[in-house]
Amino acid sequence: MQVPSGFRRAFRLPASSGQIARDLEEEVEFHVAMRVKALERAGLTHDDAITEAQRKFGDVQDLRDYCVAIEVPHMQRAHLRERMSSMGQDLRFALRQFRRSPSFAFIASLTLALGVGATTAIFSVVNGVILKPLPFNRPEQLVQLWGIDANGHHLHFADPTFDHLIAENHTLSAAAEYNTGDISLAMNGSASRVTASGVSKEFFRVLDVRPELGRAFAPEDQQKGSPMVLLISHGLWMRLFGGSPGVIGTTVRSGQTPVTVIGVMPAGTEYPAGTDAWYPREPFGEDQSYTAHNWNVIARVKDGLTAQAATRDVSMVLRRLHAAVGEATWTFDGTAIPLRDQIIGGVKVLLLLILGASAVLLLIACANVANLLIARMAVRESEIAVRVAIGAGRGRIAQQLLIETSLLAAVGCAGGILIAAAGVRMLLALRPALIPRVGELSLDWRVLVFAIVVSAATAVALALVAAWRGTGGDLRAALSQSQRTQGGGGASYRVRGSLVVVQLAMTVVLLVGAGLLARSFVGLMRIDPGFRTHGMVVAATIFDDSRDADYLGRRSVYYRQLAERALAIPGVTSVGISDAPPFSNGSSNGTFLVLDNAGLKIVPSELRALFDDKTRTGYATYRTASVGYFKAMGIPLVTGRVFDADDRTGGPQVAVINAALAHKQWPNGDAIGKVIEFGNIDGDLTPITIVGIVGDTREEDLAADPAPAVYVDFDQRPGNSDQMYVIMAAAKERPTIAAARRAFPQVRADIPMRFLTVEDIIGRSVDSQRFMLLLVGVFGTVALLLATLGVYSVISYLVAQRGREISIRVALGASTSEIVGLVLKQGVMLSLVGAALGGVAALAATRVLKRLLYQVSTSDPIAFASVLVVLCGVALVASYIPARRAAAFEPMDVLRGG
Amino acid sequence: MPRDASDLLHGTLDVLVLKTLSWGAMHGYAIAEWIERRGEGELVIVDAALYKALHRLEESGAIISQWGLSDNNRRAKYYSLTTRGRARLRSESETWKRYALAVGRIIEST
Repeated sequence: MQVPSGFRRAFRLPASSGQIARDLEEEVEFHVAMRVKALERAGLTHDDAITEAQRKFGDVQDLRDYCVAIEVPHMQRAHLRERMSSMGQDLRFALRQFRRSPSFAFIASLTLALGVGATTAIFSVVNGVILKPLPFNRPEQLVQLWGIDANGHHLHFADPTFDHLIAENHTLSAAAEYNTGDISLAMNGSASRVTASGVSKEFFRVLDVRPELGRAFAPEDQQKGSPMVLLISHGLWMRLFGGSPGVIGTTVRSGQTPVTVIGVMPAGTEYPAGTDAWYPREPFGEDQSYTAHNWNVIARVKDGLTAQAATRDVSMVLRRLHAAVGEATWTFDGTAIPLRDQIIGGVKVLLLLILGASAVLLLIACANVANLLIARMAVRESEIAVRVAIGAGRGRIAQQLLIETSLLAAVGCAGGILIAAAGVRMLLALRPALIPRVGELSLDWRVLVFAIVVSAATAVALALVAAWRGTGGDLRAALSQSQRTQGGGGASYRVRGSLVVVQLAMTVVLLVGAGLLARSFVGLMRIDPGFRTHGMVVAATIFDDSRDADYLGRRSVYYRQLAERALAIPGVTSVGISDAPPFSNGSSNGTFLVLDNAGLKIVPSELRALFDDKTRTGYATYRTASVGYFKAMGIPLVTGRVFDADDRTGGPQVAVINAALAHKQWPNGDAIGKVIEFGNIDGDLTPITIVGIVGDTREEDLAADPAPAVYVDFDQRPGNSDQMYVIMAAAKERPTIAAARRAFPQVRADIPMRFLTVEDIIGRSVDSQRFMLLLVGVFGTVALLLATLGVYSVISYLVAQRGREISIRVALGASTSEIVGLVLKQGVMLSLVGAALGGVAALAATRVLKRLLYQVSTSDPIAFASVLVVLCGVALVASYIPARRAAAFEPMDVLRGG
Repeated sequence: MPRDASDLLHGTLDVLVLKTLSWGAMHGYAIAEWIERRGEGELVIVDAALYKALHRLEESGAIISQWGLSDNNRRAKYYSLTTRGRARLRSESETWKRYALAVGRIIEST
């Protein structure tokens, strides 16, 4: 029905089918009465007239049925249209409102978007790192076991120690040894380098996982000398075998050893992190030494027992073992650490704090929006009162306010989803290798929905409260009082003010944290590691030929040829070979012996007595380096000489030490010419003469002092490792890698290699600090934004509330600067209180950062001062805008209530 | 446009109602009286059918109704034409004139 707009309210649509029937009845009654009157005028008696009129009218029942049938659907459609049109009207009205005060709409939806988005992103990431359970059954039962040495340091397990623990413990349902390293896998003429873990019998029973394809290890695979079998990860299956089910039973070669793939493990169960494949350790035999600390151990605690119970048990078993075998073992004690704590390590407290803070952030965003809406409603009280006066019902007012806030919430939440998705992607893009399991992260939809529900519910609840207040309150009072009193100002301003102060304080804590991390990070990156980092390429290789008599000979030829190929690459200026590149954790540490002269013949049986003489021993990192190594690495020579071509295999053995060792062992500066014996690393007891001292390097941890180091000549003491690194100094890294990738397989195509740049390696070593900095920094920035919006909204509210007072001041001759000053004073008060509170809180809270900070105190004055200055500055700007607006008031407009 | 017989009958009454209302808003009884008078007694319409036509026309948007007071101060439902109803009256009148002419020609023919 096309209803002219003027009629919309003038007549009422029928409300029900009963109404339709009643209307019709009245219509018919009127008709019949008129007819009766006419018939009576024509001369009929009253009764005859009635009979005649009824006869002439026809079937009333049929008419009623007909009308109800056609009008009910019509009525329903009309009602729906009415509702839609009123909603459309309200929607248009809401949009008009937002156009009229775009800053309110913008700030409110931005606040919501930031709150929802940042909370979801941060919560997703942190939750993914720490709260998500490990992807194993009953993950709370999994523990990592450690031995403890006489100094209280954690020790890996030696085979006899582990066997003893298995036999004697009462709290573990299963325990397993594992050890991870790189191996080569060759098939179809090409070789790949994969990360593989040798695991003992119970390993998969501890984790409680089974292959998704093929079979698990069987007892016949786990005997000494059994043929080697391999379980591969889902990822490796996809990467190397294209996900083909035919992989089961395939035989590949690892060096000279044929290996049969027997199964594929499900995705997400790679333990330890990054493992591509698992093989039984038993075929390689056990080492009977109590001091061969080669094995990590994980275990599952029996049902109903805790990690603490396991710790007590393990501790007792290992202490008894030490009592029994004495000096033969260095393991004095032991402990069991829940696997999740072990994996997350030192950042747990910080992550938990951030998690808590992200919840607070959402609350703050909601409080800010509440603030804004309340301020807005207060300004609109008189408008609402007018609408009530001209007949809008409470329902209609509520509907209109609901539509306004829903519109805001919808825009805010849409923005929030975008921010959350972008935030998670950004945090993921940084891929911190040292924060484990971060690869599994994705946007947490449950958190997103929760955040949206909380913020939308806040908005809706506020709209309802406002509608109730606006329509239930005394109309005249609302009309006459709004904008004329500071009514409600006192108490509610204090509430709003303290909300803002809390926000400011929290922002200070976060920003100070970010500042400390930033200063520490900059400090770390400024450290000179003692070697060249730019233009450095490392080729990691595995030379796993069969270990026959000629193995070392072939290896030496191979690396000499690689070095020649590398030098032929344009841009490569020098090449070195080493057994451990920077930050590889691959170098060995050990005790060396200082000898009287190089001619001494050492008898192994006398060694023990010599080592007992503490004046003749020293402790250092042992590195193998080729002739070109120091030049390639850019490690400067301090005195003496480095290796040269005259230091031949079989000739008098020479060593180069670093300044740290020279200073520590020979403080008188007479290190050159000294003779040492360092056979406990590679078993070569030949005395070595020190010929040179080179600069110190930081190769384990940038923040740690340089470790004392002994470099031996690769030609003279080639070691027995199959993993060596070719280090190239070049102008540019990427082209060098590309050229080496082409050139090196021409020497031997079956040797797998991986190329890295030293800059990447160093970057990865500070990943954890960088990630924390990023997390706290992003978080702090969002909090700062929200706090700014909070200050802005509360000051705006204040200005709106005190419009009349300010106008009077202007009318009485207050200057612009006086008015601006008056308003700014409020902002300054808020920010000073917030900053002071935040500063105190930050002093306490930043202590959890201590372990992540390098050469920066947790109460670093620069970080604190700069944050406080930034905060107060931002608060000033945020209150300056409403202050300017106040100063621009036209007194007469405000006083008239316009 | 071909029409069946019942359509024609409905159509007849509808066009009469529309024509009547083109003189101004009226209640149902006035419409009935007006048609009877103009039809000079030849067109006798059952009242129920008239009301069906009124409600049908209202539903289709050709007329709208509004409660008002009659001359003798009783509540009565007044109907009036809408723009759409006016347009419909024009087109239906044309159809009817042509139809009546055609029927007349057939009956007159010898």
